[in-house]
Amino acid sequence: MRRTNALQGFYYCILMALVVAVTGCRRPYDKPGVIRITIWTMWIGHEEQNFKRVLARYHQLHPNIVFNDLGGVGDDTQTIRAIVAGVPPDIFTLSDPSYLGPLAAEGALMPMDRWFRRSHLNASDFIPAGIAQCRYNGKLYAMPYLLDDYALLWNKTLFAKAGLPVRPPKTLSELERDAIMLTRRDSHGNLIQLGLKPLDDPFILCKDFGGRFYDPAHHRITADCAGNLEAYRWYANLIKRLGGEDQVDGFARGFGQDQGPGNPFFTNKVAMMVNGEWNPYWTYRYAPQLKYGVAPFPYPDHMPQMARTTFFGGNLFCIPRGSRHPRQAWKFLVWAQSREAQVLFAGMMNNVPNIRSVLKAPELRHGAPYKREYSKYLDLADSPNGHEFPVLPVTSLYRNQLITAMDFVLYGRKTPQKALADVQKRVQRELDRWQ
Amino acid sequence: MAVTASNVRRNRTWPAVRLGLLFISPWLAGFFIFTLYPIIASLYFSFCQYRVLTPPHWIGFQNYIDMFTDRDYFMTSLYNTFFMFIELPIALILAVAIALLLNQKVSGISVFRTIYYLPSVVPTVASAVLWLWVLNPQYGLINRTLMMLHLPTTEWLSDPNWAKPAFIIMDLWSIGGGVVIYLAALQSVPQHLLEAAELDGASSWQRTLHVTLPAISPVIFFNLILGVINTFQYFTQTFVMTSASPGGRGGPANSTLFYALYLFQNAFENFRMGYACAMAWFLFIITLVATLLIFKTSARWVYYEGEER
Repeated sequence: MRRTNALQGFYYCILMALVVAVTGCRRPYDKPGVIRITIWTMWIGHEEQNFKRVLARYHQLHPNIVFNDLGGVGDDTQTIRAIVAGVPPDIFTLSDPSYLGPLAAEGALMPMDRWFRRSHLNASDFIPAGIAQCRYNGKLYAMPYLLDDYALLWNKTLFAKAGLPVRPPKTLSELERDAIMLTRRDSHGNLIQLGLKPLDDPFILCKDFGGRFYDPAHHRITADCAGNLEAYRWYANLIKRLGGEDQVDGFARGFGQDQGPGNPFFTNKVAMMVNGEWNPYWTYRYAPQLKYGVAPFPYPDHMPQMARTTFFGGNLFCIPRGSRHPRQAWKFLVWAQSREAQVLFAGMMNNVPNIRSVLKAPELRHGAPYKREYSKYLDLADSPNGHEFPVLPVTSLYRNQLITAMDFVLYGRKTPQKALADVQKRVQRELDRWQ
Repeated sequence: MAVTASNVRRNRTWPAVRLGLLFISPWLAGFFIFTLYPIIASLYFSFCQYRVLTPPHWIGFQNYIDMFTDRDYFMTSLYNTFFMFIELPIALILAVAIALLLNQKVSGISVFRTIYYLPSVVPTVASAVLWLWVLNPQYGLINRTLMMLHLPTTEWLSDPNWAKPAFIIMDLWSIGGGVVIYLAALQSVPQHLLEAAELDGASSWQRTLHVTLPAISPVIFFNLILGVINTFQYFTQTFVMTSASPGGRGGPANSTLFYALYLFQNAFENFRMGYACAMAWFLFIITLVATLLIFKTSARWVYYEGEER
């Protein structure tokens, strides 16, 4: 008798759990004709609010489209797990564009070329690097919605203090000279000001020297090409002249967060830095007194054709296989390329539009005081020397390897040749596994 | 007759066993689905090329062969992990020494006990962030103190030679957890043995060496095993503290690329889940071997009360 009661209790518990689970799964009640699009983005806080405004505008134009938006998905492996599990969002942003290659190569994303043609979009309207970073093996697997590009920011006050002419360096030898002149030490020999903020990655510099990362015709990694080698040598020499990597990195560890008043460029700890288009707005917000300028990244003295070299990043939207509303999601992406959508979002985010004609939009260039320097980023975006990192299934590994290789060189553990040859061998071997 | 009796007993116990199993079935389901199955699956995956998005395919021992031909990364990570074993004896001796001191009958001893235990309450991530600043070459507490004393300073986490020692120093700060366990053991050292030794004219050093330490040796043994396992899995500190390194996590120049970190990178950044599984199994094997070795030697130095020697 007692046993039966216990069993009954057990079954009762299971039943209750099921009831709770089932009621939790109930879908929200929608009017007929309404389509719910689940969209996951990497944005959080202020930026997420900006994107919500974009979605609200789209909903206003298309009342039957309702967005279930989830922000803060900064870890792309969450999205990948959802795709593998068969419950992906209808559309999502890639927080780390390095994931585009493997996702596309493994067939996890919807190819977009046919839609692209049917929607009368024109590839020549796009900034070439912006659309190139959405293509894998010649096929389109993502759409951009705003880009980032990189330029040199220089502190006018510190230039004047150091007795330098108050103009930005044009060539790399000028950059080197200025960086050394702008580096200061205290009586103990400790750094108190660095001429140039250490680069986060060597990519823009490699491109500046005419380097390449990939040869699509032969499916070859080109890590050890002459241009990359020269770039590594130049930078290693610069760091050596600034005091060596131990000292430079030790100093850099005292830098505050980039976003905020502790940014080393805002606190005069670095006199120059290579950074993106959001900085004029940040400067305006966190260091309004700062006298600075924006200039294209300097070119090697013997290669004037490399003037106005820039490197792009950007926001990529993908539609996963298993998306329940791929067409509706695509229509949103088409709208995102319109002048209205580009100006709306770029105006709030202070990013660079990925449609060339929108770069000239007066709404983006006038108004707040920081717009003047921000406009220089817009001008630079149309440069013929704009580049992107190639989309490969091994992009993440390749990028990390190039960065670590620089680390080995700066610490004198490897010569540039050896470091890049190692990257070449390792990444090529990994790439071959995918073919 | 006997057969019938046992049948009766079985008949009586089986429903109870069934009911028992039924009641622990949520745990059993969790164990089989979320623990046992993944463990077995990972063994299978370790022989496959597995990129998560598409089904795995069998490549035999290739992942294991790859491991030992990868000098810059796999071997480096193994070396770095073994380097951290320097920390074990230091931590052990320090913790026992502190526990001995905290075992003295001095007024205000509970205050000292609290002070030594406090760092163990701080979560690893929080203490890692704190130590980023303590180890900061320019503003950090350590370098400032060294500078005041006119001693040479180092760049700590920016210097490939000093990054691992910096981690060791940081970990030693939070040995309070071990201290508390030793302290508990010290307080249960049989008083009569200590008194007997004292009557025999043993000095306090001799008493410590020949009575106290053998008495707490099971606890030392326990902490040693845990320490070995934790060292093999060294991860959080480097994951948090080297993310801002110019060379990426594991920097500078791969000097803090520990085994578990490299495993993580392969699994979740490089889409090499099969390779990561192979690494995990290799880690399991070396941990097992190390633990067994310690168990083997333990007969010689671990004393259990009531045991015949």
